[in-house]
Amino acid sequence: MEQRLLQQGLIYALGLRIVVIGLSSSVSLALAPMPDRAIAALVIAAFTAWSVLYAVLMVRTRSKALPVADVAAVCAICLTQIWTVTPDPRAGATWVLIAINMVVITYPWQLGRPALAGATLTIIAVYYVGATIADPGGWLVDKTLGPWTAAEAALSWGLYRFVRRGARTSDRIIARAAELRRAAEIAGARRAGEREYLAALHDTAAATLLMVGSGIVAGREPWLSAQARRDLQEIHRSEDAAQGATDLIPLLREAAGHTQVRVSWRTPEVLVLPSADAVSLSRGVREALTNVARHAGTDRAEIRVRADGALVTVEIADEGRGFQINSINPQRYGVTRSLIERMTRIGGRARIDSTPGHGTTVTLTAGHDTPAEDSGDREVIATSFQRGLRWAVIVMSLAILTLLDLPRMLASRASYEQFWPQLVTWSGLVAVVLVVAAATWRDRPLGRWRTPLIVLVFALAALATWSVRPEYLLGPAHWSEGDAGWPLVLLMMGARVPVFAVVLLAQYLMTFGQAALAWDAALSVAGAISATWAVLTYQLAIAMIAAVLRGMAASSARALHAAERERTAEAVDRHLHEDRTGRLAALAATAVPLLEGLASGGLDPGDESVRSACEAEAARMRRLMAEDTGLFFHELRACVEEAERNGVAVSFTEFGTFPALTPPVRRRLIEPAIAALATAQGRARLSVTGTRETVTVSVVAACLQPPPAPDRDGVRRSTVADGDRFWIQATWQGDQ
Amino acid sequence: MNLFRRPEAPDVTAVIVDDHPVVVAGVRAWCALADPPIRVVAAGPTVAVAWTDPGAQADVVVLDLQLDATGPAFGDLKRLVDAGRQVVVYTMRADRETALTALDIGAFTFLTKAEGEDHLIAAIQAAAASAPYVPPTLSGAFGTDERSHRPRLSPREQQVLIEWFHSESKEMVARRLTITVHRVNSCLERVRIKYANVGREAPTKAALVARALQDGLITTDDL
Repeated sequence: MEQRLLQQGLIYALGLRIVVIGLSSSVSLALAPMPDRAIAALVIAAFTAWSVLYAVLMVRTRSKALPVADVAAVCAICLTQIWTVTPDPRAGATWVLIAINMVVITYPWQLGRPALAGATLTIIAVYYVGATIADPGGWLVDKTLGPWTAAEAALSWGLYRFVRRGARTSDRIIARAAELRRAAEIAGARRAGEREYLAALHDTAAATLLMVGSGIVAGREPWLSAQARRDLQEIHRSEDAAQGATDLIPLLREAAGHTQVRVSWRTPEVLVLPSADAVSLSRGVREALTNVARHAGTDRAEIRVRADGALVTVEIADEGRGFQINSINPQRYGVTRSLIERMTRIGGRARIDSTPGHGTTVTLTAGHDTPAEDSGDREVIATSFQRGLRWAVIVMSLAILTLLDLPRMLASRASYEQFWPQLVTWSGLVAVVLVVAAATWRDRPLGRWRTPLIVLVFALAALATWSVRPEYLLGPAHWSEGDAGWPLVLLMMGARVPVFAVVLLAQYLMTFGQAALAWDAALSVAGAISATWAVLTYQLAIAMIAAVLRGMAASSARALHAAERERTAEAVDRHLHEDRTGRLAALAATAVPLLEGLASGGLDPGDESVRSACEAEAARMRRLMAEDTGLFFHELRACVEEAERNGVAVSFTEFGTFPALTPPVRRRLIEPAIAALATAQGRARLSVTGTRETVTVSVVAACLQPPPAPDRDGVRRSTVADGDRFWIQATWQGDQ
Repeated sequence: MNLFRRPEAPDVTAVIVDDHPVVVAGVRAWCALADPPIRVVAAGPTVAVAWTDPGAQADVVVLDLQLDATGPAFGDLKRLVDAGRQVVVYTMRADRETALTALDIGAFTFLTKAEGEDHLIAAIQAAAASAPYVPPTLSGAFGTDERSHRPRLSPREQQVLIEWFHSESKEMVARRLTITVHRVNSCLERVRIKYANVGREAPTKAALVARALQDGLITTDDL
C-alpha cells in the first residue's frame, strides 16, 4: 500500500502543479499587463512544456538529476520576471509567485528532506534576486514571502510524512492480520490432525464393541481377547495423544510396515512430539517410502530421525535411480506436491534432493514455535490517520492566522472602514480552530456543532469583507478572503470530496460576490483568480489526502476486524478441541472395563447383557467422534448421556453446515428430541442435518407418543409412527 | 436387493480388506448367512490381499479406509477403482467429506460400520450387479452436499435423501412423504447415477450408467 500510495501521491502532486501553474500563468498572459508579452508567452510556454516533460520523466524514471534541472527551470522563471511580470501593488500574487509556491508545495513528494530544504532556499533566494532586478522599487518584494514559502514547504513536507506514516501503519496492520490468519490456519490444521489421530485410535475399540454388540461373536474366542488387548493398548496410547503428545518412532515404524521397502533405521529410542506433527511426519514417511518402492528401482531405504531443539528432521534416503529434479514436471513425481502441501499445512517443510543415478533424499521438517500473540496492534486505531491529518491542518491554520494574517491585518489598518470587524473575524476564526482542536484532543466528533460552526465562519468572512475599503478588496489587506477557508477545511475534513469542494467554493464565491457589489477591487481579475487558485488548490489537495487516508483507514479497519474474527474463531476452535479431547479421554473410563472383560474372558460376548453394553458403548464412542459442531449440540448432550445411563444405545449422526439460530428456534428444534430420548428404550437414532436454509433434528426411538405441538418460530414438527417406534422430527426453515 | 441379481449369475465373491479381526469375522458371518451366500475368497489387513490371488478375482472389494493411524487410504481406493474393481467402502468414519471424497474417487458405495449389519450384504450384492446402492449415511452426505460441482437434484430427490438419512426406514420415508417405497428407491438410485455422472471418469461410473440405462432408470436424455 505504501508504494502504491507514494506513486499515486507523486502523480497527483505533479498533475496539480501542471494544472495550477498552467492556469494561473495563462490567465495572467491573457489578462494581466506584462512588460514584454512575446517573451512572457515564450517563457510560460517553455515552462509549461518543461513541467509536463518533468512530470512524465519523474513518474517513469525518478532520476536524481531531474529535480536539479527542475530547480534550474524554476530559477529561470524567477530571473526573467523583468519581462514577464509588471509590478502592480493591486496585482496580489503574480503567476511566478504562485508557480514557486506550487513547486515548493509539491516537492516533498519528489525530494528527500535535505534536497527539499536546499531547493526551497535556492528558489526563494533566486526569486528575491529576480524580483529586485524586475522592480528595484520593491513592489514585488514582499517581506513575509520568504518565511511563508519556507513554511509552506515545511507544512507540505509534514503532510507528506504523515500520509507516509499512515500508509506504513496500514501496511503493518494488514501484514499482521495475514500473519495471524496463517497462524490460525496452522493451529487449525494441527488440531484437525490430532483429532483425526485420536479418532483413529478410538475407531479400533469402537469397531470391536460394535461387532460384539451386533452379536456376531457367539462365545469366548481367543482372537477376540487378543483384539481387546490391542484395543486397550490403543486407548492407552490415546491418553497420551489427548495430552497432545505422541512418540514418533513407533508411528514411523508402523507407517514403514505398510510398504514393501526394507528400512534401516537411525533414530533415537523415543521422540515425543505434538501428535499432529508426529502424525504428519509418519504420513510423509509413508508417502516417501511408497514412492521409493514405485520409482526408485530399489527396495531399500534409510530413515534418519534427528531432533534439534523444537525442530525435528526426518530424512528418507534411497540409493535408487534418482531423477533430475528440474527436468521433469514435479507433479509427476507424485510425492513432491502432496508432501510439500502436507508439511506446509502444519507449518513444517519438505525438501527433495535427487541426482540421476545417485538416489533420492526426502527431508521432512516439523516443529516450530507457536507464533506470539499480538502486541498492541489494537492500539493503532484506524481513525488515528485522520486524527493526525486534522492536527497537521490545525497547526497550519493557526500558523497562517497568527504568523501571516495578524501582521498583515495590523499593518493594513488604513485599508479598513472600521477595524473592529477585522479583529472580531480574526478572533472568531482562531476560536473556531481552537474548538476543533479541543474536539480533536478529546477525540470527540463535532457532531451537530459542525453546521453552526460552518455558518459562523461564513458570517465572519462576510463581516470582514464588508469592513474592507472597496479599493483594497481582494488585496493583501483582505486576508480573510482565502484564509477563512482554512477553518472550513478543518470543519469539512470528514466530508466527501465533492461536498467539501462545494462548501469551500461557496465561501470564495460569497466573498467575490461582495467584492463585485462594492464595484471595485484591489486586484485585477487575473490576480484574483490566480491568488484564489493557489490557496484553493492547496485546500482541495488536503481534502483529497483526507479521502485517501479514509480509504486507507477503512482497509486497515477491515484488516483489524478480520484479525479479530480470526482470533475469536481460533479461540472457539481451541475450546471445542480441548472439550472434545477431554471427553474422548473420559470415554476410556467406560470402554476400558468392557474391553478388559473381553480380553480376560471375564465377559462372555455371547451374553445378551454384555452385547447390549457393548452396543451402547460403541454408539457412545461414535457419537463423541461425530460431534463436531459442539456449540449447537451441547444442549442435547446432557439428555443423550442421561438416556445412555438408562441403557439406551443412542446412535448419533450429523451432517451439513449449521446457520446461526436464535435461542427460541434452537429450543423448539431440540425440545421434541429431548422429550423422546427421556422415555426411549432399546436403540435410538438421533440425527441432525443442516444446510444454509434448513436445520432438521430427528429422533427414531421406541418411546412415548409425543404430545402434538404447534408450529412456531419457523419450526415445523411431525411424527410418523411405525409399530412402537416413533419418528419425531423438527425442521426449521429459514426465510426464503 | 436380490432383484438386481440375474437368475443365471454365479455366486458373488468378495474380498475383505480390514485390519480388524473382529470386523472380518463379522463380515464373514454375515456373508455366509446371505441368501444366496456370498463367498469371501480372501481377507487381510492390507490392500495387498485384493491384488493377489484369490482376492484379485473377487467381484467386490470391501475396503476399510482406516488401515492405520495415518489417515484414510484414498490412494489405495483410487488404484483399485482404476483397475476396474467394484469397491464398497466400509469404514468407521462417518463424516460427509470422507463419504463424498470416496464417491468422487469412484467407490461403488460408502457404508459406515454401524450400518454394516443392515446394509453390507445388500451393498455387496448391488455392487456385483452394478446397481446403485445408497445407504443412509451416504444419503445424508448427498443431501447436505453444498459443493459447487454437486449434481443438480430435484426437490423431491433432495427430500428423499434427507428423510432416508434421518429415519433409516424406506417405509417411514414413504409414509411421511406420501409416496410409494418404489418411488423412494427410484429417487435414491437416480441420485446415485447423477453423482456417477458428474464424477471422475472411472469404470464404476461407466458400469453404473450402463446398468441404469439398461434398467430404464434413466434415459439417454438425462445424461
